[in-house]
Amino acid sequence: MVIRKGECVVIHGDNGAGKTTLLKILAGLIPPDQGIFSLNGRDLTWRQAFRQFRNEVVYLHQTPYLFDRSVEDNVAYGLKFQKQGRAQVHEKVETALEWAGLSNLAKRNARDLSGGEKQRVALTRARIIVPKLLLLDEPTTAMDNVSREHAFSLIRDLANSGNSVCIATHESAKSYQAQRVVEIEQGKLC
Amino acid sequence: MESLVGASAEALKLLLTGDPEIWEIVGISFLVSFRAILFIVPPAMIVAFVLAFSEFPGRPYVITIVNSMIALPAVVVGLLLYMLLYSSGPFGGWRLLFTQTAMVIGQMILAFPLLVAMSHVALQSIDLTAWQTARTLGAGKIWAMFTIMREVRFGLIAAIVTAFGRVVSEVGCSIMVGGNILHHTRNIPTAIALETSKGHFEQGIALGVVLITLALVLNFTIAIFRGRDMARY
Repeated sequence: MVIRKGECVVIHGDNGAGKTTLLKILAGLIPPDQGIFSLNGRDLTWRQAFRQFRNEVVYLHQTPYLFDRSVEDNVAYGLKFQKQGRAQVHEKVETALEWAGLSNLAKRNARDLSGGEKQRVALTRARIIVPKLLLLDEPTTAMDNVSREHAFSLIRDLANSGNSVCIATHESAKSYQAQRVVEIEQGKLC
Repeated sequence: MESLVGASAEALKLLLTGDPEIWEIVGISFLVSFRAILFIVPPAMIVAFVLAFSEFPGRPYVITIVNSMIALPAVVVGLLLYMLLYSSGPFGGWRLLFTQTAMVIGQMILAFPLLVAMSHVALQSIDLTAWQTARTLGAGKIWAMFTIMREVRFGLIAAIVTAFGRVVSEVGCSIMVGGNILHHTRNIPTAIALETSKGHFEQGIALGVVLITLALVLNFTIAIFRGRDMARY
């Protein structure tokens, strides 16, 4: 499986096909049974790859976990590890919240939001750290139509801004306007 | 009944007039227990974290042992510590027996399993997704650990408060390794035991009032934290 810079790839398959497992391996959260990562023609073990890409690959869970703090603090979480000044963080958070239409919810506790709003906070929190590869696991599952359209638009915007985006879904891949769709069946890419 | 009323009135007088001996005993109690909790919380949290978030052979057995150790009698801990610190014991050369340090060590041993067990339960209540989210957003292991601890802070505070409540009121270990020496190692529970045996009920009641007040304050604190924790869900 190859993911190119700035590419939006959809991994499509039924429930239990192995989409989440594949994304978690790519994110470095679980080790693979076998296989290697290759970057610019250089082979890496999973551990080497994880160490190298820890701050560059972000994985979004199907049901995102939001920390028990305000929306703006959630969005700012990943910036702490990028050694940025307070003013810069504040500015970036404000811009990101505006991008996601969350400015009016900035001070609310993230736990008090609706499912769609939580997913948008999670997307914004991932986007703000500008990962080279964003892995989204069923990002629009259990959303109403309005929230779903909003999420699609944000994801398309993410993909168009030069990030590589990899989306796992069992739904139709059309809405994401991906450059490529990879099918997965019983743990094997087709 | 008359003697109980009389002793209680005398006890209140002792407390309200700021009897120096009473308040010195209270001070020693709090100082020893506070130090014990302060020193044992970091290792207990780390062990609880490892038990909650990592897989290793024998993990269920370790959890069972830790849970069983909650019921460890204070007097048995005192006995073992006494044997270790006694002048001809393996650590006798350190001259720690009948010191506040020995009492601190004993209370640390008593608090450890309770802290680990309660913190483990609090940490287990959180989804593994929280850990993975922190890690994938760039947090190192230590920072991710602090993030998770912040998420379950009310449960962890309840564990610390409960552990403090247990050690500040234990008598068996303190009397064995502290020796109940006035102005030095005499704390609330050992003083109550001594004064009662001498028939000085008023001092015993006065110190008992302090302990009961403390127990009430700690229980209210735990209830407040538990309430906040539950309110989140």
